[in-house]
Amino acid sequence: MAAFRLVISGVGGQGTLLASRLLAQSAIEAGLPVKIGETYGMAQRGGPVMGHIQIGEGVDSPQMRPAEADALLGFELGEAVRRGVTYLRKGGLALVNTRKLPPVEVISGMVEYPSQESLMKLLRQVTDVVVAFDATALAEEAGDPITTNVVMLGALTASGVLPFGEETVVKVLRESLRPAYFEMNRKALELGKEGYEKSLGK
Amino acid sequence: MSSHPVVIDEPGKRVLLMGNEAIVRGAVEAGVDVATAYPGTPSSEIGATFARVAEAAGLYFEWSANEKVAFEVAYGASMCNQRSMVAMKHVGLNVALDVLNPVSLRGVKAGLVFVSTDDPSQHSSRTEQDNRWLAKQNCVPVLEPSSPQEAKDLTRVGFELSERLGLPVMLRTVTRLSHMRSDVSLGAIEGPDREAAFDWEGFSYRVAGFEKLFRRHKERHEKLDRAQEEFEDFEYNELKLNGGESLGVIGVGFSFSYVIDALRKAGLEDDVAYLKMITPHPLPEKLVSKLLTCVDSVLVVEEVDPFVELHVKALAKDVAPGLEVMGRMSGHLPREGELSPMLLDGALSGILGTSLETEDRRDLEEESKSLLFDRMLTLCAGCPHRATLYALKKAVEAVKGDLKGVVVNGDIGCYGLAHAPPLNFEDTYFCMGASIGVSQGMAKVGVDTIAWIGDGTFFHAGIPGLINAVTNRTPIKVVVADNEIVAMTGFQPTPQTGRTAMGKPTKRIMIEDIARAAGVDHVEVVDPNDLEAAEAAFRRMLEAEGVAMVIARRLCATEALRAMRPEKPVPYLVDADACTGCKICQSQFGCPALIWDDGAGRAWVDSTLCTGCGACVQVCPVGAIRLSEAS
Repeated sequence: MAAFRLVISGVGGQGTLLASRLLAQSAIEAGLPVKIGETYGMAQRGGPVMGHIQIGEGVDSPQMRPAEADALLGFELGEAVRRGVTYLRKGGLALVNTRKLPPVEVISGMVEYPSQESLMKLLRQVTDVVVAFDATALAEEAGDPITTNVVMLGALTASGVLPFGEETVVKVLRESLRPAYFEMNRKALELGKEGYEKSLGK
Repeated sequence: MSSHPVVIDEPGKRVLLMGNEAIVRGAVEAGVDVATAYPGTPSSEIGATFARVAEAAGLYFEWSANEKVAFEVAYGASMCNQRSMVAMKHVGLNVALDVLNPVSLRGVKAGLVFVSTDDPSQHSSRTEQDNRWLAKQNCVPVLEPSSPQEAKDLTRVGFELSERLGLPVMLRTVTRLSHMRSDVSLGAIEGPDREAAFDWEGFSYRVAGFEKLFRRHKERHEKLDRAQEEFEDFEYNELKLNGGESLGVIGVGFSFSYVIDALRKAGLEDDVAYLKMITPHPLPEKLVSKLLTCVDSVLVVEEVDPFVELHVKALAKDVAPGLEVMGRMSGHLPREGELSPMLLDGALSGILGTSLETEDRRDLEEESKSLLFDRMLTLCAGCPHRATLYALKKAVEAVKGDLKGVVVNGDIGCYGLAHAPPLNFEDTYFCMGASIGVSQGMAKVGVDTIAWIGDGTFFHAGIPGLINAVTNRTPIKVVVADNEIVAMTGFQPTPQTGRTAMGKPTKRIMIEDIARAAGVDHVEVVDPNDLEAAEAAFRRMLEAEGVAMVIARRLCATEALRAMRPEKPVPYLVDADACTGCKICQSQFGCPALIWDDGAGRAWVDSTLCTGCGACVQVCPVGAIRLSEAS
């Protein structure tokens, strides 16, 4: 079986690194080898964050090549498109949180944040399989915007592209999170699944 | 929460580990007794993991004052028959170099493994240096793992090797390996349990007599020869040679992962010979010669410098004179910068004349680049350094009449972002502590300066420079951006924090006390969030005679938020009716929580980002910013 390749993109502080780790832990739980390559530099300071996750045999390097990812998990609109056009393979699955986190050059009025339409148009040159929704709103519904990462994981689980099932992800969530946070994250995972299914037809 | 995977005693279990964590696991399996480190990307997680597990693993860990001290502490333990490890980023070894040379000459008792995390492409560094040269200069064997699994295994092996040879051993990683995560199969925790005792016979001048270390130079070379012999059939070096291949590839350490992936993708695994080289120094020449004598050309793949390539070229001259040696020197791979699977694909297809199968996305990337912002780095919302710089600029303008009335020599840390807009108030920065040193050379020739240094960096390398200024009566002006933590590398304590790496309370060493003891003529401590008071303090500093220092002290905003969890700060807001849209809060202050609404022509506060520090209230000329109703 060929390895499953996923690129995660977002901004420092969004919990992309934790999402990568939860997925990798699920892969180990499912008995699969896994590699995560992370690029974060000074992420705490609002920088772009990207993770390459490769699950399965025959992978040594943590870095993917362009157009190799089977799926894109985009935590922030602009960052999703930035990485998607490079790494997502033709026809790959793009899951995109439509919430914008404007960088300092936008908030200070130096440049404008591009429109969702123009960004999506670019992404659609790579794939028609784009599922975009406001994951942060769903995370707020679950109880805290910090659970955006688990909402995104819920959508990814629902899409059926992962080489393991939802029960594995739930087990890892239960074992990795403090009991006090588990229920909220369980709900976030559920809302992510619903978000995916609702947005699928759009 | 279950215990950290670095300390669980379940041999054979597969766990997810970062490269840096895997090194700690290897040290725990080897029964390391003393571990030390100075934080610096990409090495910091080694120390952070040690700090987390030290007590559970029954070992001692400290964040040392700098890398030289860290190395010395580790060596002290080694002379007392206790295994020790010291971790640092590549440039840290420059600081520790002074002790490495006599240590390798004198030799070690218990195993001493030091980690150098090199940073190809300088993701988080001021230089792209390859520390294998320093290992060579000091006759130190180098182990270069290709994966997190090997990072763990070779750490354990490194302790045994160090003891067998009586030499310190360098474990060299690169950023991608230190920061990658992978499933790692755990080994047994089975290091020796030895009694700590100074080796009198081995090290004491009183017992064994004083010696000139020169006589050890020959001994050190002999040790290195023994290392070379061991590496000739070292199980981690892998030669795959069917016979009849025209091309051979040597993948050194982590670069081997790119080599094997590229060969696999091109379907060339059986047509190209390869050698996974885990021991770049001393290079096992017999093993390498086996490859060199069987192929027509060889491609050497390694991170940063052509260290092995150069040696292979020299070796080929003797054993395979007609051989073509390719790599970073020949131009088949770039001379600078980090490698990637793509670069390997390109090099192999160029050499073999095969077609490249990778889809080109450069046009789309160009389009996205022209549409999208870069997402520039900036100081965090609520960062006290922003307030410090804002007040400092006001003071410089008032006293000097011009912001260019001083050269601002910066230093290493978050506050290095002073160069970024809109504050844009930093001219140079080089290496730890250099702000204070270079400012003196400028001051001596009549150029006014400000040395802009953080609290952590001050303790690491700022103090000798400060003493130098006082002694030589060089009237420099020093601003300490004191956020009471080493923030950039993950919130490690400084000597001022009053807490050790293992979480024990300790004495606080205050920067102002050190400055006064060093004879600094004018010392003030100020809270930068009181902009008026801070500006006044900076004015007094600029006008003071002699060496003057202002310590702008306020806890790192991110650390403050961490400390108050699960509580959240009360955010500020912009009164839309009062805001005149002058944009001063953006164009001169630039807190990421203050967002410009182009449509409304007003600023607003993102309450999820606001840390409630209130510094911006003093920046607004019309008083439009106030605490939200939530208070």
